[in-house]
Amino acid sequence: MTFAERMLHIDRRIIFLVIGVCTLLPLLYPVGLAIKVSPEVRGVHDYIESLPEGSVFLLSMDFDPASKPELQPQAVALLRHAFKKNLRVIGMTLWVTGTGLADLVVSQAAQEMGKVNGKDYVFLGWSPGVGSLIITMGQDLYKAFPSDYNNQPTRELAVLKGIQTLRDVNYVVSLAAGTAGIESWYVYGKDKYKFELGGGCTGVIAPGLYPLLRSGQINGLIGGLRGAAEYETLIGQKGRAVAGMDAQSATHVAIIMLVILCNVFYLLIRTSRGQSGQPRG
Amino acid sequence: MIFLRRQLPLLITFVAGVVFAAQYYVPHPTSELMLTEVTKWLQIISGFALVLGVTSLFHIHAVKIRRKEPGWAYSLILYGGILGTIAAGFSYSFTAGQWVNGKETINGIVTAFGWIYSDMMVPLQGTMFAILAFFIASAAYRSFRARSREAALLLIAAIIVMMGRVPLGEMLLPVSGDVTQWILNVLNAAVRRAILIGISLGAVALSLKIIFGMERAYLGGGKE
Repeated sequence: MTFAERMLHIDRRIIFLVIGVCTLLPLLYPVGLAIKVSPEVRGVHDYIESLPEGSVFLLSMDFDPASKPELQPQAVALLRHAFKKNLRVIGMTLWVTGTGLADLVVSQAAQEMGKVNGKDYVFLGWSPGVGSLIITMGQDLYKAFPSDYNNQPTRELAVLKGIQTLRDVNYVVSLAAGTAGIESWYVYGKDKYKFELGGGCTGVIAPGLYPLLRSGQINGLIGGLRGAAEYETLIGQKGRAVAGMDAQSATHVAIIMLVILCNVFYLLIRTSRGQSGQPRG
Repeated sequence: MIFLRRQLPLLITFVAGVVFAAQYYVPHPTSELMLTEVTKWLQIISGFALVLGVTSLFHIHAVKIRRKEPGWAYSLILYGGILGTIAAGFSYSFTAGQWVNGKETINGIVTAFGWIYSDMMVPLQGTMFAILAFFIASAAYRSFRARSREAALLLIAAIIVMMGRVPLGEMLLPVSGDVTQWILNVLNAAVRRAILIGISLGAVALSLKIIFGMERAYLGGGKE
């Protein structure tokens, strides 16, 4: 077995170790690389920035704990921005397994910004149906959620005063880890009830949402941890996402180096086999 | 019985399909009221789907345990997990002085259900997802090879996008950020849009076939 062949069959635990070190070291010793803001993320930020005080902002946290590292920083950054702008915030989720997490995110961000439950914000929780839930909210918000997550009757909440349906919501952002998520909010919600829609998602599903972005069906897209870091940069409150970008940078470069190395060894083997007349693998 | 098994469901499907397709274009209050009521029914039916799913899960794993199939112990753990979580969700919190009622916290006090959620489910799901990074790196090293021109093109695009999505990559190769944006906004969006249009046309065609009774697979099998 040649050196190149040996390298191609390297023990995968060595690769795991490389990735582990590349993740851990930047987290322990952050470098703080400059983050360039993309137009997609700026789209969401600028729209929230343009909303007048008291406007209604609905944040649908459509993810479960598996996507917490990418989407929780997005939710925190968006909530901080919305609370800073004194918007009326409605939190909810389309994923039953994400309910506890979403409640925690909203209540912690609200507490940090000195906001009062029921007056400045409300967390509606989860209700079944996805498409039918969004349509019900579009028809009558109080039929979809007669009470909030803390069992308070929604009709009596000051934060929802003057809001009857989704048509009265100024901006909806869905932070999605898959389906149900942004596409559901567009198909069942925005198309009929004409509110403005933005999105946030995990890095892996972001490319699939670009057609919605280019056609204006969503006015911005926060993609993965990078998107969250961009948003944190925009609001000037650097948090977990910015801290995680160094680790992500190092792992991306490590994977690129591994792929390049693997191809160098592969080409070396092909060339040597070609010279000796053996079939190429 | 053929009327109840076949003709009635087909009739209901046809009427509901036509009425609700038309409803979208009729903003009359009566039409909107009908939509509000029906979507509420749909929400209730969706709730039952959850119960059906859990029941089915219980049934499948009960069979595995009874037959002592390979890995039956995992089914036992699943049973323990589900029943334990349900019990915690319905339990009484002595610290908070009230029933948990499926809440993670009551007046800031973490319940047993909240403990299961925050200290077991959240870290376990996070760990499962995080492990992916290691396997992706290993798989990329072993299989991401330029075996053909197409594979080489994919490889180059992947490297550029990976560089362009992180600050270090943009620092090492400044053009990668702009090229990534172009790949995502032009090439990727165009291909995705074509796929979406194809899927949507397929969905419309399938819906029409279901409404007009040409597609009957949803009725299930069985004797007529």
